[in-house]
Amino acid sequence: MRFAGRILWAAVSLAAAFAMGVIAHSRGEPVNSLWLVIAAACTYLVGYRFYAAFIAARAMALDDRRATPAERLRDGHDFEPTHKWIVFGHHFAAIAGPGPLVGPTLAAQFGYLPGALWIVVGAVLGGAVQDFVVLFCSLRRDGKSLGQMAREEIGKVGGFISLVTVLLIMIILLAVIGLVVVNALKDSPWGVFTIASTMPIALIMGVYLRYLRPGKVLECSALGFVLLMGGIFGGQAVAHSAAIAPWFTYGGLTLAVALIVYGYLSSALPVWLLLAPRGYLSTFVKLGVIVLLAVGILFLRPELRLPPFTRFVDGTGPIFAGKIFPFAFITIACGAVSGFHSLISSGTTPKMLMKERHAVSVGYGSMLLESFVAIMALIAAASLQPGVYFAVNSPAAAVGANPQAAAATIAGWGFPVTADQMAGLARDAGERTLFYRTGGAPSLALGMAEIFSGASWFARPGFIAFWYHFAIMFEALFILTTLDSGTRVGRFMLQDLLKQVWPKFAETGWKPGMLLTSAGIVGAWGYFLYQGVLDPNGGVNSLWPLFGISNQLLAAIALCVSTTVLVKKHGARYMWITCGPLLWLVTVCFAAGWQKIFSEAPSVGFLAQAAALEAGPHTAITAELVFNARLDAAITGVFLVLVSAILIDSVRIWIRVLAGRPKPATTETPFVLSTFAEGA
Amino acid sequence: MRAFLRIARLIAGVFQELSDQRAYRAYLEWHGLAHSPEQWRRFSDRRWAAQVRRGRCC
Repeated sequence: MRFAGRILWAAVSLAAAFAMGVIAHSRGEPVNSLWLVIAAACTYLVGYRFYAAFIAARAMALDDRRATPAERLRDGHDFEPTHKWIVFGHHFAAIAGPGPLVGPTLAAQFGYLPGALWIVVGAVLGGAVQDFVVLFCSLRRDGKSLGQMAREEIGKVGGFISLVTVLLIMIILLAVIGLVVVNALKDSPWGVFTIASTMPIALIMGVYLRYLRPGKVLECSALGFVLLMGGIFGGQAVAHSAAIAPWFTYGGLTLAVALIVYGYLSSALPVWLLLAPRGYLSTFVKLGVIVLLAVGILFLRPELRLPPFTRFVDGTGPIFAGKIFPFAFITIACGAVSGFHSLISSGTTPKMLMKERHAVSVGYGSMLLESFVAIMALIAAASLQPGVYFAVNSPAAAVGANPQAAAATIAGWGFPVTADQMAGLARDAGERTLFYRTGGAPSLALGMAEIFSGASWFARPGFIAFWYHFAIMFEALFILTTLDSGTRVGRFMLQDLLKQVWPKFAETGWKPGMLLTSAGIVGAWGYFLYQGVLDPNGGVNSLWPLFGISNQLLAAIALCVSTTVLVKKHGARYMWITCGPLLWLVTVCFAAGWQKIFSEAPSVGFLAQAAALEAGPHTAITAELVFNARLDAAITGVFLVLVSAILIDSVRIWIRVLAGRPKPATTETPFVLSTFAEGA
Repeated sequence: MRAFLRIARLIAGVFQELSDQRAYRAYLEWHGLAHSPEQWRRFSDRRWAAQVRRGRCC
């Protein structure tokens, strides 16, 4: 490296350290969010320039002369060599879902610092490494999936466990994101109308794209976007109409049932009619909003009004219970480390890479960008006044059943807020109330709305309401896309499992099988969603940790596969690269899992919660709540047992390989000279 | 100006990729076909059939 380069990188490193120092040492007064942006961006740059380059050169020995699967297996469809930055865009669009937006918002109950540190450090040393190494493994194995690699590298048990774990995670994921939508739309005619309008809009787009203007996706998405804007303004008119508003005003249970019915129908409808047009639209809206949020934060530089740490690091938080360790680390999964990404890194992406070295920017770089999205979500949440943040996110059971009681409880924690102030805010946002809006989406929408309307050219009457509902629409659109595609993926997985029992299930065109497995998947996530709605603590307290644990356990499986590949390739030399994050995730997940099952505090431990409910006064739903708490404990236990099995299997293989008995055969595809290589 | 054009081209490329236009062109080229509504429907059905079998991230 030249002298000027060394000076530059030293300056970037110092900027990262200094900015990190500023946000870590500030006490008592608000810090400008720009410090957090600088700390994160400079750390990402250093991680990308040095750590990713080290892994690429030493552990992977990436070689641009080696033909990638996209080149060797080119079929003009799945396998297609594609420009690096285009694959980057594709990969990023696939990995960025609602998780990096909601998780940091919820974890802000500990203050902004724990979440910020975990997002930045976790992504650089864990999440991006996982995505990158899994992409590399798949790239050298004809673009195979994580399940196939687990079967080949670890054994049949590993492959089967991966499949079951992914299926279970999918069920919990769909339930928890469904709950986020339900909580955001409860008693909100504006929100319900806007979200309901996305369905006919998707159907119109589907017909447009199929029959009227086939292939004109950009044109069709632009039309869809205009109609969506119409849906937001239509929602405003509905909310202001005393006659129509009641038609769109529903409680949590009705919305949950509507979502379950929608999930079933969307999984049975032809893909082109609903899923495909919504998929395109949601991708464009997602990227647009992320860019808009980044521009808003950079230009307006909001202050972080939440303190770096809150009193709730002791585990008594109203949003979810549990101490900072391990719960901060499972609440933020996507944005720091997400096991789900390994499915994308071993899915479409390895089949599109033109050169091996492109894996650095696509695998490692896009995770850093997602981590930056999580930082922006954290900034949006932390820029709210702390009292408002807790009023929106806390369930009635934790703060009090009426606005005055809730405001008094929150003010008693040292976060001043009044019922009148919240009523004014709700009026500005076009909502009846903003109390008890658990799930993260409403507070994130409020934070985003405040940032967007902070710009002088946007600061006009009614703009907070518009941006609030725009943000709710954006999050719900995102979530519904994940919900209907996830239901389909879950259905295929269930069919894959059931074909072992009855081979007829392997026929995807077999209607009874399709309807049964769809009902099975929708029934499974629907039950957890129903359970979340029923939960007096708002559901997030039980479901989000379950989702976080399961997602990070999937990351543990991906890191087991990655470590096995590295051990077979280099022996023990580079296994620390993936073993470090693996060890951390196993520690965090097992600590969290253990506490969620066995903690004696009813707010944390599922079994203690069941016992407390049984001992307390019985209501009509007590028996159901007791059963649900025990079911959650059992599911957590199943996750821990499954991952223990794959971990033990992996360690057994590592010991065998390191002891040199027998020398493992490589599973990498042989070297073929690339036609894209210079001089080839 | 040149840098600006490069960025604009890149953004257009990402848009084309995300809207499957580039993949559709590659499909037509690979199979020696010309665009028609029927070809688009075939391409789209095949592409989405594969897409819905893969997990989407949270």
